Amino acid sequence: MGESNEDIDQMFSNLLGEMDLLTQSLGVDTLPPPDPKPPRAEFNYSVGFKDLNESLNALEDQDLDALMADLVADISEAEQRTIQAQKESSQNQRPPASLEMPDFSGAGALGYGANVAAVSVSHYENDLPPPPADPMVDLPPPPPPPKPLSQEEEAAQAKADKIKLALEKLKEAKVKKLVVKVHMNDNSTKSLMVDERQLTRDVLDNLFEKTHCDCNVDWCLYEIYTELQIERIFEDHENVVEVLSDWTRDTENKVLFLEKEEKYAVFKNPQNFYLDNKGKKDGKKDGKETNEKMNAKNKESLLEESFCGSSIIVPELEGALYLKEDGKKSWKRRYFLLRASGIYYVPKGKTKHPQIQKESQYIKYLCCDDARTLNQWVMGIRIAKYGKTLFDNYQRAVERAGLASRWTNLGPASAAPPSTGLKAGTTQANGQIPQAVHSVSAVLEEAQRHAETAKDKKPAFGNHDPGAPRAHQLPKSSLPPPPPVRRSSDVCGSPATVPRAKGPRGGFPAPPDDSLPPPPPPPPLEDDELPPPPPDFNDGPPDFVPPPPPSFAGEAGSQLPPPPPPPPAPAPEAPKPPPVGVKRPPAPPKRKENPGPPGGGGSGEQDFMSDLMKALQKKRGNMS
Amino acid sequence: MAGMKTATGDYIDSSWELRVFVGEEDPEAESVTLRVTGESHIGGVLLKIVEEIKRKQDWSDHAIWWEQKKQWLLQTHWTLDKYGILADARLFFGPQHRPIILRLPNRRALRLRASFSQPLFQAVAAICRLLSIRHPEELSLLRAPEKKEKKKKDKEPEEELYDLTKVVLAGGVAPALFRGMPAHFSDSAQTEACYHMLSRPQPPPDPALLQRLPRPSSLLDKTQLHSRWLDSSRCLMQQGITAGDMLWLRFKYYSFFDLDPKTDPVRLTQLYEQARWDVLLEETDCTEEEMMVFAALQYHINKLSQSGEVGEPTGTDPGLDDLDAALNNLEVKLEGSAATDVLDNLTTIPELKDYLRIFRPRKLTLKGYRQHWVVFKETTLSYYKSQDEAPGDPIQQLNLKGCEVVPDVNVSGQKFCIKLLVPSPEGMSEVYLRCQDEKQYAHWMAGCRLASKGRTMADSSYPSEVQAILAFLSLQRTGGGGSGGHPQGPDAAAEGLNPYGLVAPRFQRKFKAKQLTPRILEAHQNVAQLSLSEAQLRFIQAWQSLPDFGISYIVVRFKGSRKDEILGIANNRLIRIDLAVGDVVKTWRFSNMRQWNVNWDIRQVAIEFDEHINVAFSCVSASCRIVHEYIGGYIFLSTRERARGEELDEDLFLQLTGGHEAF
Repeated sequence: MGESNEDIDQMFSNLLGEMDLLTQSLGVDTLPPPDPKPPRAEFNYSVGFKDLNESLNALEDQDLDALMADLVADISEAEQRTIQAQKESSQNQRPPASLEMPDFSGAGALGYGANVAAVSVSHYENDLPPPPADPMVDLPPPPPPPKPLSQEEEAAQAKADKIKLALEKLKEAKVKKLVVKVHMNDNSTKSLMVDERQLTRDVLDNLFEKTHCDCNVDWCLYEIYTELQIERIFEDHENVVEVLSDWTRDTENKVLFLEKEEKYAVFKNPQNFYLDNKGKKDGKKDGKETNEKMNAKNKESLLEESFCGSSIIVPELEGALYLKEDGKKSWKRRYFLLRASGIYYVPKGKTKHPQIQKESQYIKYLCCDDARTLNQWVMGIRIAKYGKTLFDNYQRAVERAGLASRWTNLGPASAAPPSTGLKAGTTQANGQIPQAVHSVSAVLEEAQRHAETAKDKKPAFGNHDPGAPRAHQLPKSSLPPPPPVRRSSDVCGSPATVPRAKGPRGGFPAPPDDSLPPPPPPPPLEDDELPPPPPDFNDGPPDFVPPPPPSFAGEAGSQLPPPPPPPPAPAPEAPKPPPVGVKRPPAPPKRKENPGPPGGGGSGEQDFMSDLMKALQKKRGNMS
Repeated sequence: MAGMKTATGDYIDSSWELRVFVGEEDPEAESVTLRVTGESHIGGVLLKIVEEIKRKQDWSDHAIWWEQKKQWLLQTHWTLDKYGILADARLFFGPQHRPIILRLPNRRALRLRASFSQPLFQAVAAICRLLSIRHPEELSLLRAPEKKEKKKKDKEPEEELYDLTKVVLAGGVAPALFRGMPAHFSDSAQTEACYHMLSRPQPPPDPALLQRLPRPSSLLDKTQLHSRWLDSSRCLMQQGITAGDMLWLRFKYYSFFDLDPKTDPVRLTQLYEQARWDVLLEETDCTEEEMMVFAALQYHINKLSQSGEVGEPTGTDPGLDDLDAALNNLEVKLEGSAATDVLDNLTTIPELKDYLRIFRPRKLTLKGYRQHWVVFKETTLSYYKSQDEAPGDPIQQLNLKGCEVVPDVNVSGQKFCIKLLVPSPEGMSEVYLRCQDEKQYAHWMAGCRLASKGRTMADSSYPSEVQAILAFLSLQRTGGGGSGGHPQGPDAAAEGLNPYGLVAPRFQRKFKAKQLTPRILEAHQNVAQLSLSEAQLRFIQAWQSLPDFGISYIVVRFKGSRKDEILGIANNRLIRIDLAVGDVVKTWRFSNMRQWNVNWDIRQVAIEFDEHINVAFSCVSASCRIVHEYIGGYIFLSTRERARGEELDEDLFLQLTGGHEAF
């Protein structure tokens, strides 16, 4: 599947040979200055194992430069770290603060040596229909058509040098990067560079900056995996590059950026997942379509109980689902049960001790009767699989949403939010190089690719300050994105030689991965004779009330200035958080005692509540 | 002063004679007779008693117990009149602390002195301080079940009884650590052994014992235990406990606050033991898969515990003195100059290259294992037709990061296979590597395990992982009993892996040992890296994740209902359960509870929830005081706050849980 180090070298020499044959090159001299235009990257290059010879030369100059600038930043950062580590001295200059990865743990640079040997740069020609022009983006005039020059070979050589340098830098950087095309819900796409250390959360933060959406907690990266007939939400703690590395080349898979209220539904209305399914056992069906109302305090205590104890509580879920039989097209109705250790079902009839699914085929397709059940199961499985991490993610998302609204609040009501630069410092990794990414439509790309050349052979990489150019991003899409209309497919990713890293391993609560695939929707294509209609995953569950402001605000929320401006999107943002500080225990219920005569009703009963209140008052008195 | 007499010997004051027995409620005990008046203070009476006895002894722990009223006379400034004591009162002058035998959660027996005069809540707190268990409010004492007639039980071997009766704890202050244990345990070899018993997990029980011990066969059986809880607001004396009685110490409330492996070795271990017995004796149901994980964790914990790898940096190793530590530190410092070599070593990553047989199961394939030249570099496995082709393209390359590694080993059959499940775009691809011998297997297996976690063979844990695998294989060789050639047979198996001591009897009946062992080992794979305390914690968490975890069952009769039902009490809710079927009928959460009332005379508990939901029931299998205390106890536990640390609000607890006697 992949190539070894030697292959790369071989390919590289092939490449150099090809370079010599290039004839359509033009001297577009010097490193382009940071482009003030928004990055409308229709290009799509990725770093992977393959396709070096076919596509390295296809990389545009700008892209190459961008990559280089980025790499230089990485390397200087890495060097600084090494120096620091060795000398244990803090005198060395750090790269600009904005470069520091919040999640950098050292493992990223050291642990992925395997990728280093075989890193290459490849370019995938986008053979899909060009996305419709984005009305929000005024295209820069395309570069004038290049005129053939006599120094083609020289130019080609210059480019080859650049590529060579880029390769070396890549090797040094030891950081794997992908350029990911993300489909927005206004049918446009955005490309961004994701490096292997970035988690979904970081990528979302990048996208928040690029889109100036309201940053509410419902925004998510959404994976559509056509080969496996899966679509699912990327968890905020997932490593994006690792997941995308599993995609095959020429895949139809896509990454979407959109709002999904299911993402953290359990934290907004925990009672829908933890409390109301018990009614089913009574044989009552009245609770099915109604949402139990619950006050914020009770929600809080329910969440605390479920997620903050020494072990998390997985919602009790059981009921009939449809299971696709292995290798068959038929679906069988089975009784399923969710436990922290896995999904169980009763093979035939209901017995006391159902069997867990066996690993036979790694992926099980289940089908639910309605969207509500589906949401409950999907959420329940996510809780069983990720546990506390999910809650941590949510709190971080709330914090982030609060932060965003604060910026919006502080800034003037102009089109340009003032905060991009600031945020970059805390949330962005250095994997992004917007300044060098020109707006080039897909149509022009081909022509440009062959036309461009560079006169200067050594762009001043060292001078690049990857932090600064971020300020140039234009607030083009500050409007709330329209609902999704259509999604073009995305081709992105290197051969699947890097398997997906799994979640927390070990016994339960994290169940074995093979028993818990992300809940897939039933295959929509050839299986049209299936009994249960496949639920449309994209449809918002009709029975979910719009989420009220989450009662659990992150710590940071408490320091925010009070009321956020009216949010641009329908979903609530920046809940006004309750003052966080001392966690108040739920007020204990009253207690009464009755030393009185039997049957005395309330008359003879002693009120335990007053004891408690006295005690509590006393306690408070003692504490203050 | 009482006892003024005339010359004829008649008393001229209002004094009278008070007889006080000396000792612990023994009618044969010696007695002293004092001349007192109703105005005499208890303190004065105590003084007189001691004078009368005329024996030199430390009497400071002694106090007067009034038998008829079941009351200690502890207020020394109170007068006899105020207590209402007359000449007919039967008073005993005895020690307040008396020895009892505690059956610990780990089922070992321990003799210690407990307070017979303080409310049980305080007595338990003192016991826990002695045993160094934090958060005593989570524990309580049960009466030991009544022994059935001794049939052939006489044969049972005398069990070891640990003794802490001589240990005196300075009041109030948390004991300082000395040599890795609370100072009061380091006095003698006996107490030190006692601490090890408390803080280290016990070996797996004898499977035969497991079969013999009583197990609940129904919900009704599970209610029996809960009738035996002692009353927290009354003292042991008041509850009819006498010196030398056996009591059970158990975690009563399933809400474990701030479990910290560093500060809680005894608490963690005892909780683990309680969880382990709970699972083994089928008190809480678990599935087959869950049982395998529990078994794997027990196996792992036992292995670490036996080998003395406590795994904590504090080091409970008794051999390590401060001096040793200082010397060690010095050594490290001196060796520090060699760091550059270490750095060099770090940069070169070891590789494995060898001929292995590889098998890739596919549909419609008849091919078996084929020999390939395999190169394992960093986290990537590449294989070639032969060594000569190695510089070229490999047949396949697999990055093992994130993959699943499953051992498939039969030592006696000389089969050493590694099963790899590698995520791929199609779902999962499966590869088997077959090694020639143990040594080769250990190296490749260790590499695969590290690679699956994204680490290379340069990782410092690689050599120890190889050693662990080798040790494990040798255990299998001696203990697996597959070949049956070993002279000691079953005895030798015990030191290896006897799966029957690790699973509940239900699974002992269902599976042969030969079937269980590989499953447990497979599950063990996922926990093999845990330290002792991590593994215990994991066990406890898995236990807490069981759906039926932490429910205390009581038989009750709901108001208006004509049949007995079960009330389940958990840390956050009350559950009404059908007695016959076991189905949950209704759940009420404490967070919705407004108040609860106890009518002691008709033994009825009435609870009011939000939205005017009222529930009332009388208690059948246990006294309503036990139900009341459970509810109040859980409410109390929910008021705990991290900020307050270990400070215990006894008043609040007793107010929430106390019966009417307390007022």
